[in-house]
Amino acid sequence: MAVLLLLALLAVAIPGESRAQTGNSVRLEVRLTPDTAVRGARAPVVRSENLLGDGRWLSTLRSGLPVRLHYRIEVWRSRNGWMDQLTRQVYWDVVLRHEPLLDEYTMLTIFGSRVQERRYATLDALTAALAFAYQINVSPAQQGNYYYSSTLEVSTLSDDDLEELERFLDGGTTRRGDGGLSDAMGRGATRFLLRLAGLPSLRLEARTGRFSIR
Amino acid sequence: MTRPFGALRAGLAALLLILALPAVARAQDSVIVIDPDAPPSDTLELGGPPPEVVEELIAFYNDSTTTRVEGDITLPEGSRFVGRLAVYRGTLRIGGRVDGPIAVANGTLHLLPGAEVRGDILVIGGRLIRAPVTHHSGRERVYWDAAPVMKNEDGLLAIRERRRRIGDLAAARTSFQTGKVRTTLLLTTGGTYNRIEGLPIVFGPTFDLRTGQRSSLKLDLRGILRTAGGDTRLADFGYEAKGEFRYDRFGISGQVYSQLGPIEDHPLSLSEIGWASFLLQRDYRDYFDRRGYGGTLWAQATRSLRLEVSRRRDEERSVRATDPWSLFRNSSTWRPNPPIDDGHYITTGAQVDFDTRNERYLPSTGWLLRARFEHSSTGDVTPVDLPELVRPPVPLGRRYEFSRLLLDFRRYTRITPYLRVNGRLRADGWVDGDRLSVQRRVSMGGPDILPGYDFRTFDCAPPDFEDPAETALCDRVISAQVEVRTRVALNLGFRVGDRESGGSRFIGIEEADLVLLSDAGKGWLAGSGPGQVPVNRIPSFDEWKVDVGLGLDAGEIGAYIAKGISEGESVKFLVRLQRRF
Repeated sequence: MAVLLLLALLAVAIPGESRAQTGNSVRLEVRLTPDTAVRGARAPVVRSENLLGDGRWLSTLRSGLPVRLHYRIEVWRSRNGWMDQLTRQVYWDVVLRHEPLLDEYTMLTIFGSRVQERRYATLDALTAALAFAYQINVSPAQQGNYYYSSTLEVSTLSDDDLEELERFLDGGTTRRGDGGLSDAMGRGATRFLLRLAGLPSLRLEARTGRFSIR
Repeated sequence: MTRPFGALRAGLAALLLILALPAVARAQDSVIVIDPDAPPSDTLELGGPPPEVVEELIAFYNDSTTTRVEGDITLPEGSRFVGRLAVYRGTLRIGGRVDGPIAVANGTLHLLPGAEVRGDILVIGGRLIRAPVTHHSGRERVYWDAAPVMKNEDGLLAIRERRRRIGDLAAARTSFQTGKVRTTLLLTTGGTYNRIEGLPIVFGPTFDLRTGQRSSLKLDLRGILRTAGGDTRLADFGYEAKGEFRYDRFGISGQVYSQLGPIEDHPLSLSEIGWASFLLQRDYRDYFDRRGYGGTLWAQATRSLRLEVSRRRDEERSVRATDPWSLFRNSSTWRPNPPIDDGHYITTGAQVDFDTRNERYLPSTGWLLRARFEHSSTGDVTPVDLPELVRPPVPLGRRYEFSRLLLDFRRYTRITPYLRVNGRLRADGWVDGDRLSVQRRVSMGGPDILPGYDFRTFDCAPPDFEDPAETALCDRVISAQVEVRTRVALNLGFRVGDRESGGSRFIGIEEADLVLLSDAGKGWLAGSGPGQVPVNRIPSFDEWKVDVGLGLDAGEIGAYIAKGISEGESVKFLVRLQRRF
């Protein structure tokens, strides 16, 4: 029975690019800046699209659940005949929340220890703010072939995440998963239950083409 | 023709300045440039329009000569409005002509085709949307950030104080500041469910004091209420009090505790243990009561390297399983909890972590190298009676002492953009002194390390040793795991309409990693007796047990099938709530 169940799961699995990159779902796009540098260095430009066009995220926000966008850009060196090498990565977060009493949307941008909080009174303004692209100046310097891989994880925040975020904003030094008593049962299972309840969690990946540093 | 988003550019510039990011923001192709190498600035900055502009907005709105509108309003083509016009919380659509200044607070200004505005435009908390053929003469300022204003009883606008920040939402948890001390009160579960405590309820305050730019002090006081009841030899209440001081990359902590300790911590994670117990009445861990005190000194030498030394004194005591409720199989009996070698133990440990993983929970590249050495001793042990093949008699008249070493090496590698390979080598067990106490012994087999075999298939118990608790009795274990992962679209679920948004909501799992896995491992007793492996030797690989399997891992949940190939094992099906490693 168990084998049949897993085979059934496998049967509906379609290898290939992320399905969420199609249709009216959230999309993640990463492209290269124009090839204008002398040595061929090109920076990645990351943009997420249609986040609020996908009704579930808007519904999640309006249900009072914060939404977290965790971006990561990785610089990979492509080595023919050998495994690719990660040379650098950069990540940042955007946290969205709707405050129903004020009918405002809060957008928190977190990059390293730098935090910016902005509030928007209209969905239109929030949508426009979310449509900005991020150009990350992480171009490699060494000679070789490279590509960028970008991931975007969109999820609702659990209570633990909120607490962690709160501590971070207060200048606390605790790190995620430092092993508090409430750490264990919460995170994975909570997200799993949120997902089963129809509350979304999504991970998207996108890659650029290869480029060469001369 | 004025340039659109002129004020927006200023707002964005402020955002980028705060983020220490050089800014490029254009209306047609808005790009935020992030320079990761910019000097860090430890700041929390609340964005928003400049205060003087907000005051200007309030003054404009409250001016007795201003025509005030709340909600949506449309000035159609051919209409003309003369004077000062202010809109609060709505969309102002202009298709005609306005002679006079306009202010919009927390709303949108939409200039329809043919619109003509002769006067300044100020929009705070919304956008200015302009159709192709419009005319505007005058100053234009647009701030997307919400205006922190509210309407009072007189219908006038006033400054609204900022409300709680994001993050101030946490059920059964509240924080407040008293001087420099931040206090958090917590009421939560203990993070698991087991056959000793049932569902532990954890409560208590945490005090945080940021003593300097690079230092902090934390005091964590937790009470533990055990809900299982029954005769477990465990008190109904436990506690943990921990104080920690951090300075830059160094820290020192001390703690006193009365809590439940695990005998082996690897069969599954704490959360998975809890769910397996709660749902299926299967508790994959064994426990003992631990009361004592200790201290830890640590240093984060580099971003990747962490060093830690610790010393603690425990009173370790056996506890009995009770019969907490489970959702399924509630009528069956729980596996007994094995007795341990009771006594007061002094344990000194040293641990080195080298962690270059790019992500803690879903890494795709990097190393995790962990080594932990522990030396324990006791002068008042009350040993469990074990077969002599498993352990020679515990010495009397001198301290019973032993050392244990854990090595856990993991490598995460991306082979191609679409393919990842992960590997893990783990060894744990006795290295020196007397043989290990029961609560430090190890085993092999089960859902974590050898999922193709049943739980504790290799527990090193002699064939004639009857033990319903399936106690882990091995001196040493070693295992190797490898897995290949690629991302696939799964679409396991269904999509339902969402009336509110007009879109649809997917219920289920859309994507997952397809995982091919293989594991090998061996648990053994060290010695020269029958079936034992000499103390200075690691079993050759052909003595290891091997399994293979495949599965789908959606991150928060994964389903796998695995089969041992060394024996006539049946196919095992398992569900994990986190990555295998």
